[in-house]
Amino acid sequence: MLALVENSKSLKESTMMTSSEIAPLKLGIVGCGAAAEQGHIPAAVVSDKVELAVLVDTNIARANKLADRFSVPRVAEDYKEIFGQADAAIVALPHALHAPISIDFLNRGIHVLVEKPMAPSTAECDRMITAARQSGATLAVGLVRRFRYIDQFIKALFDSGFLGKIESFDLREGNIYNWPIASDFYFRKEMACGGVLMDTGAHALDTLLWWFGDYESFDYFDDNMGGIEADCQIHLKMKNSVRGFVDLSRIRNLRNTIIIKSEKATVEVHVHRFQISIQPKGLHKKIVGDVVESYGAEWKARSVKDLFTAQLEDWVEAIQNGGQPLVPGEEARKSVELIEACYQNRKLLELPWQRCKTV
Amino acid sequence: MNQPRYATINLKGKRVLVTGGTGSIGGHLVERLVMECQAEVRVLIRNFARASRVARFPIQMVPGDIVDPSAVHQAMEGCDIVFHLAYGSSKETTQGTKNVLKAALEHKLERVVHVSTISVYGQTADGDLDESALRKYSGESYADSKLKAEKLAFHYFRKYGVPVSIIQPTIVYGPFIGSWTVRIINQLKNERVILPEEAKEGLCNAVYVDDVVEAMLLVATRDKAVGEAFLISAEEPVTWWEFYAAYEQILGTKSVIFASQSDLADLNRQYKREHGTIHQVLTTFRRIDVLLWITQLPAVARFIRLTEGIIPRSWWQHLKNTIILHGSTRQSGPLVSEEKPLRLLTDAQNREFKARTRVRIDKAKRLLGYQPRFDLEEGMRLTEIWAKYANLV
Repeated sequence: MLALVENSKSLKESTMMTSSEIAPLKLGIVGCGAAAEQGHIPAAVVSDKVELAVLVDTNIARANKLADRFSVPRVAEDYKEIFGQADAAIVALPHALHAPISIDFLNRGIHVLVEKPMAPSTAECDRMITAARQSGATLAVGLVRRFRYIDQFIKALFDSGFLGKIESFDLREGNIYNWPIASDFYFRKEMACGGVLMDTGAHALDTLLWWFGDYESFDYFDDNMGGIEADCQIHLKMKNSVRGFVDLSRIRNLRNTIIIKSEKATVEVHVHRFQISIQPKGLHKKIVGDVVESYGAEWKARSVKDLFTAQLEDWVEAIQNGGQPLVPGEEARKSVELIEACYQNRKLLELPWQRCKTV
Repeated sequence: MNQPRYATINLKGKRVLVTGGTGSIGGHLVERLVMECQAEVRVLIRNFARASRVARFPIQMVPGDIVDPSAVHQAMEGCDIVFHLAYGSSKETTQGTKNVLKAALEHKLERVVHVSTISVYGQTADGDLDESALRKYSGESYADSKLKAEKLAFHYFRKYGVPVSIIQPTIVYGPFIGSWTVRIINQLKNERVILPEEAKEGLCNAVYVDDVVEAMLLVATRDKAVGEAFLISAEEPVTWWEFYAAYEQILGTKSVIFASQSDLADLNRQYKREHGTIHQVLTTFRRIDVLLWITQLPAVARFIRLTEGIIPRSWWQHLKNTIILHGSTRQSGPLVSEEKPLRLLTDAQNREFKARTRVRIDKAKRLLGYQPRFDLEEGMRLTEIWAKYANLV
């Protein structure tokens, strides 16, 4: 045991040596909205694997403000200005711009970490994947929940068979909208390309497809009356015969957990807080807590901030070692495919208090 | 089960601006304007984070604040009708209303629907109340600013001929409504709510939100509405007891406690004794979580380490026992609370629950053809379905 720890220590030192020999990657962040401000920029600033060289936003005042706050040396109004200035770009733009701008970077061999949803359509996802393949640039997608220890633990737990056969899941995620939006694109159909399904759904469906595998069939309902949906519900049947229900909202405070029932236990995972509970079947007791990972002799939890750092460093490592990032385009495309199918087969959510029943 | 129906009001081809469209009543209005009246709707939006509900509809969303005259002027460009629902602080309410009226005058709008409130009549007397009653300031900032706004609206009508129509809704309830639905449900869920004995007979002029929206559409389209104000309520009031009981039934709880006036006075005295400022500060410091947080502040931690060496250990133990343990078991802070906290009445609420004012809607019926379609039972039936869907119950 001691030898093992010793070994892993020396291994860590040797990797540290190699990584310190490699010059930090020059990074540009394109889109200075809330996701950049609260996630990507702080992560890039603390990481020694990248050098945040430039912030890009068509609202240059906004870019300047964030550049001042985080001491970023340069700003640009047009993403094309960073072509020569950055080896890699984080694309955190309105959904409609994810594909065209990512492809423009990828074609020039600039590595891309694109925010979720990867793109509003599978056709665009495919073009992004092809562009990355052809130029050899590394494409990763910002499905940051995959970096939660809890989500990784659950995936391992399910795969291990420890809980017996998985029977059903029930996901309710919603808050009366309070994400600090820096622009109004979220509510403009042409830029957002969808409502809560496109946005929250990208995370939620990715998690479900990752944990339970591909779906077999679904019924999708939302409340869109000619704009973008605020509420949606999906009844899912997975290929492994697990059945589930998904309820997403921007106008209701829901429980924000996934409840999974298996042959042997009920598991509840909070989607925002780092909290999981496991209750063995028939027992009126459960364990509640966070998941930690071992770092040699130490055990560590991850904060929201850590998630963005882990995501960034995973991508950088894939770039430098030529491997796959944790969430490559092919993985992220799966949730886009389901979102697209949902929109194509939408039915109107029944809202009995609403006066108008047809669109 | 189907909903009661209104006659269709056609606004096809009309361009309509809604201020306060992201609010709870505004959301219902936008839905009907777009889906049923087929109007071209524009919503002035101060905070896009609140736009989820109206973004469901094919509308034009214009960023801007009601207190900014140029934003209001621009938003009203090319419009035929404006529904003015937005309000804010006292100053925002009056300034915003002035901006709307001025822009309406400049753009020669064919109708300005100003949404006022029954509160402009101040504390109302028992018996029938109609629009001939005297408007008076009550000292309550929301009501007073709405009265000022209403006066401005009348002024622009009389002086400049701006075609203003005013509605004065009573106690509005229904899906999404904050004040008289979400707030009451949350209170009944989390607190013990006290009502005066008199609330068993005191009248609540409750009106379901759809009836209010119907009245807005009627004043927007009836010629006789110009320059007039209309009280808008249901056909008959209910008692406050019935109103609260309807929510208790939705929740399946009994949280209302009726108290005599002398009991109320006793409770208020007791509350003041227990919740004076000094008491509040002490209570906060006695809470374990707050105390632990304070002791972890670097400067405080250093101080504690210092004093630990000087003060004998037994004293420390005594101090901890009296402040933390004694305090936390005795006080009803969130950590140790077993009983729901008691919500006391303000004097204004006490008066409101006692009053037996019966709002007359004859004028709206006569001049607008207004006919409320919802009684409490039907309104609460839909409210309950929504509240369950919204995870409030």
